[in-house]
Amino acid sequence: MSRPNQNDPATFEIVKNSLYKIAEEMRVVLAKTAYSPILKSAGDYSCGVFDRAGDMVAQGPDLPIHLGSMPDAVRAVVQAFGDDVYEGDVFIHNDPYFGGSHLPDVNVVRPAFHGDVHLGFTCLRAHWPDVGSATPGSYGAVTEIYGEGLRLPPVRLYDKGVLNEALEAVILSNVRTPDERKGDLGSQLAATLRAAERLKTLADRYGAERLVEYMADVMNYSDRLMRAALSELPDGEGYFEDFCDGDGIPDHADGSDAPFWVRMRVKKFGDRITVDFAGTDAQVAGPMNAPLSVSASGVFCGLKTAIDPNSLIPPNSGCWRAIEVTAPKGTVVNVEFPAPVVYANHEMSHRTADMVMGALAEFMPDQVMACSQGTSAVLTLGGLDPRNGRRYVSYETVKGGFGARPNKDGINVVASGISNTMNTPVEVLEMAFPVRVERYEIEPNSGGAGKFRGGAGARRTWRMLDGADATGALCMERMTSPPFGLAGGAPGIPATVTVTTPDGATRSLPSKGAFAAPGGSVVDMVTPGSGGFGAVSGRDPAAIGLDLLDGYVTPDAATRAYGAADPAALLKQAKHEDMP
Amino acid sequence: MAWRIGVDIGGTFTDVALVDDATGEIGVAKAPTTPQDFAAGVLSALAQAMERYGVQAADVGLLAHATTVVTNALLEEKGARAAVIMTRGFRDVLELRRSARPDLYDLFQDAPAVLAPRRRRFEITERIGADAEIVTPLAEDEIDALIETLKADKVEAVAVSLLFSFLNPAHEQRLGERLRAGLPGVPIYLSCEVLPEIKEFERASTTAVCAYVGPILASYLDRLVQATEALGLPPMYVMGSNGGVFEAAEGVAMPAMAVESGPAAGVVAAALAAAQCGRPDLLSFDMGGTTAKASLIQNGKYETTPEYEVGGGASANRWMNGTGHPIRVPVIDLAEVSAGGGSIAWVDAAGGLRVGPGSAGAEPGPVCYGRGGTEPTVTDCNLLLGYLDRSSLLAGEMEIDFDAAEAAITEKLAKPLGIDARAAAAAVIDIVNHAMAEALKIVSVERGHDPRDFTLAAFGGAGPLHAVALAEELGMAEVICPPIPGAFSALGLVGSDLQRDYVRTVYVTTDTADAAAMEAAFAELEAEGAAILDRAGTPPERRQFQRTMDARYERQSYELSVPAASSFDANALASAAEAFHDRHRQTYGHDNRGEPVQIVSLRVSAIGKIPALAIRQEPQVGAEPIKGSRAVLFRGETLQAEILDRVKMPKGRTAIGPSVIESLESTILVPPGWQAEMDSDGYIRITGASA
Repeated sequence: MSRPNQNDPATFEIVKNSLYKIAEEMRVVLAKTAYSPILKSAGDYSCGVFDRAGDMVAQGPDLPIHLGSMPDAVRAVVQAFGDDVYEGDVFIHNDPYFGGSHLPDVNVVRPAFHGDVHLGFTCLRAHWPDVGSATPGSYGAVTEIYGEGLRLPPVRLYDKGVLNEALEAVILSNVRTPDERKGDLGSQLAATLRAAERLKTLADRYGAERLVEYMADVMNYSDRLMRAALSELPDGEGYFEDFCDGDGIPDHADGSDAPFWVRMRVKKFGDRITVDFAGTDAQVAGPMNAPLSVSASGVFCGLKTAIDPNSLIPPNSGCWRAIEVTAPKGTVVNVEFPAPVVYANHEMSHRTADMVMGALAEFMPDQVMACSQGTSAVLTLGGLDPRNGRRYVSYETVKGGFGARPNKDGINVVASGISNTMNTPVEVLEMAFPVRVERYEIEPNSGGAGKFRGGAGARRTWRMLDGADATGALCMERMTSPPFGLAGGAPGIPATVTVTTPDGATRSLPSKGAFAAPGGSVVDMVTPGSGGFGAVSGRDPAAIGLDLLDGYVTPDAATRAYGAADPAALLKQAKHEDMP
Repeated sequence: MAWRIGVDIGGTFTDVALVDDATGEIGVAKAPTTPQDFAAGVLSALAQAMERYGVQAADVGLLAHATTVVTNALLEEKGARAAVIMTRGFRDVLELRRSARPDLYDLFQDAPAVLAPRRRRFEITERIGADAEIVTPLAEDEIDALIETLKADKVEAVAVSLLFSFLNPAHEQRLGERLRAGLPGVPIYLSCEVLPEIKEFERASTTAVCAYVGPILASYLDRLVQATEALGLPPMYVMGSNGGVFEAAEGVAMPAMAVESGPAAGVVAAALAAAQCGRPDLLSFDMGGTTAKASLIQNGKYETTPEYEVGGGASANRWMNGTGHPIRVPVIDLAEVSAGGGSIAWVDAAGGLRVGPGSAGAEPGPVCYGRGGTEPTVTDCNLLLGYLDRSSLLAGEMEIDFDAAEAAITEKLAKPLGIDARAAAAAVIDIVNHAMAEALKIVSVERGHDPRDFTLAAFGGAGPLHAVALAEELGMAEVICPPIPGAFSALGLVGSDLQRDYVRTVYVTTDTADAAAMEAAFAELEAEGAAILDRAGTPPERRQFQRTMDARYERQSYELSVPAASSFDANALASAAEAFHDRHRQTYGHDNRGEPVQIVSLRVSAIGKIPALAIRQEPQVGAEPIKGSRAVLFRGETLQAEILDRVKMPKGRTAIGPSVIESLESTILVPPGWQAEMDSDGYIRITGASA
């Protein structure tokens, strides 16, 4: 393989950094201009710079789930429009059967030009809090993609700078909060425009064709680094299987949901690695079916983290060339039309990212982590806000534990795996929507026990204000399938959600689907803790003492889960050492 | 006043700058920094300076100080034993943060640092709603037990941050009153006093930073104030992150204001230089051994940013949700990159040449210092290319081992890359220059400013060596190197106005807002500022109150700053909305005219102006500046460069590139195609020879 940067290492480094900087700048522009809390506060969007073929050259510090699957979104535009692409054009689409991930993720794709030279594309994928369907937030348990909301195949929203007003009108009349959507779309346009301008400036400096070559060089560079890292690792093969809670469609007479299985075999030889999903269950009735690009996105995220554990290799499409992902058609990891998909986008990619660690543990146990929270823990709430008479849709994701590692504990309540969205500040949430958050705190004893403890999950409780009757919807995993431990570590605690209605009745909610939350209702969510790593007998008693001192672990759990004979003594010792 | 004195404590030296108000004479003195007891180094530098320039304590009108104590306590995690009190149900806000992780794919990343561990995070029963009404009254009966717990735990400072206290501070104020009575001697920081702004994590974090560093800053300032007062010097002022100075007692009340005290001084000095050399639009570039800092000065003024993250390995990029502690107080908008003379160059597994983030620091330092450094650094590469004197630095005070530097570059860089040592060194310089150019771009291009409209001002030990290359990269036509580059930041201290910033959250839209109520709110903030200026004895003619507003479209979360009229009425509201639409279009390429504009906060900066300071140093006359010549490498070509002694350059003396202008404190590199000229104020101005 050629070494394109050999003769001019400085320019290569400069152009590479500039391309990543462009993706970062897109992120800033969107955060500062977007309207909906899920974008401006929670950051549920991703930015990238792509070459003319749709391969990702540079990505922002965004969400791995998007980043692994966005090349397919840009390729869909390339396939649909070929050379029929001009300066000032903007394409929009969200169809998982045409390179999208799920309908709420709306891709805005803008080609970048320098004179007549087509440099490539910029793409901003943003999660819209509503794209229609029967359920506010578009997270209902339906059985066909037609029930999931507005489907946009790759279409031209701007034609050489001229807005297709008819298309815009169709889009805005199919979403619940059109003013907000218009503001968000405006910010996606602004961010991609900024990126296209920055690419043009780079082309001014280095030459348009030369820039296109550098874009290829940047991906080749990551490919070389990945292969070098893979070559250093032992060859081997690992198998892992895990079950999902269900698909949101009741399977049993009591209304409960049947679990289904995902099976994965990872083989590593030399500088190549293959991941095959043979044996995985057939696709399901509800929206837990993933397009292959979504399943692969989780695999890429897990493999990148394990193969390059100190995160030194620039992430882009070049990183994935050494990786081959295969799955039988018609399974939950490689869906066939017209099955619904909305939950699987994050729930299945979380799953495949975590499972990769389980499979790799068989032959590279020093570079894996125990299972993290394994769910995006989505709660949507929608209705009329009695304070101002406006329709609203709130979308939140709540974080759980980040898995324990071979050399250190997990992390409490932080985005893991394919996710990296932020929480919505309680004060921002309550000013925007008719809810009051009653608690948001770390859940004790939720991290799996082990030599290294799993990260704790969170507890978050919402009360609907009086008169604010809402329709809620959940999308979670790991309620019946707790996050696994590795190397003898215990699993984290599974998730639970209850709703208490004003009549005082409390019931547990299933992991997915819509529910009624009349004004005065209380929704109480506990997110999963992550798995522990290593046998609990190896845990340093002083670490148990500190966990007791900070209340991450309670005395009875110290005895039950860690076998501590005298937790009071450990606590006393920790307290003594903490005093000045 | 006759003399003004500024004291800047750096990692290696404590610099003192003096200015004689009557004559404009500038003096400097240096003493080694004494980390065990900073006051010792300060007193020794002060004594030296006062003796050298014959200054009596009674002649000193202003004493100002920049401190890194706050930053260091955070970076080294050596703050106070601080407790945090939150609304019941929200004990963990500081640890839950915003829940994003700083690196997407780092398997071994650590949990972000928390200033108060969970064992020192407490709850109190109470709740204010989003409409500012009391949902649950403050549980007075819980407070005594809480005080006993804090006492038993030997807590040294307390931060209180309750939900929605920015809308209704009653609960925080009452709790604060009880805690202050029950815990004498323990500083209590209330979020409604520190930062009355929305977003509970950011507000709690800012308040916790105050509690964490407050006791340390207080004892440090006490010691300094006592020592300087004992010498008969006037009350000491402290440089704030916002570029203004404030009384020491104010700093103790609001320690988060002093986080970027040191860098801020440099930017203020650059603004003074901008005025002096008639270049009101400047990009300032300050490069030392480990970091380089950039900031932007337009119309003679620097900008401040309301968002900042400090400590815990915080990324220089504020937009990456990092591992540091966010503080939401105005901080001079500066970008910092880990690139300096000590940055280490290396070749990665794929044959890519990288520079940093590792640094050889002051110890062992670059290979050429001969103090045990083995990894090639930026300084070693500058040496190999002939940009630095190959036998000694610091006017002969430091011996240089050229051969060792060359050997390290050859072995560690050139051989793996398959190129010769000089090409490798040149590539390293290109890369590090690019990293620093990025810092300059963050404060310019990213903010919608074209660097080609600015002059580059370079200072710090290494700034003038790299400045012209940066100017070339950014298409800038002029570089200036002000006098006294080594103690330049300390000069900012004696040229700083007294400044305090006040904020009031209002949440109104311009179509329905009550202009009279806003005028009243502005007036209240100005009254608070006036009280501070009264205490400082600032006469009315030197007072300024600057009003601005943070505005956005109602459903956005980030604001743009727009100016507010000094007498606020309905017309002012309408023009503020217009100004916002324009600013939005200018910044983001579009506006949403027709949508109401929301005013989130009103801000007032209360300023006590001090008489203008001229940073200048009369050039010598009649000396011969030429020291000799040596070979330098530019773009692969070996050229002979003239070597000049800066202090001997008379006014109007030019140096055609390639040339090198040396002084004790720094070296200026003038590449081919550029020309340097000494002006009448001691500034060296470098322009494209054809310009």
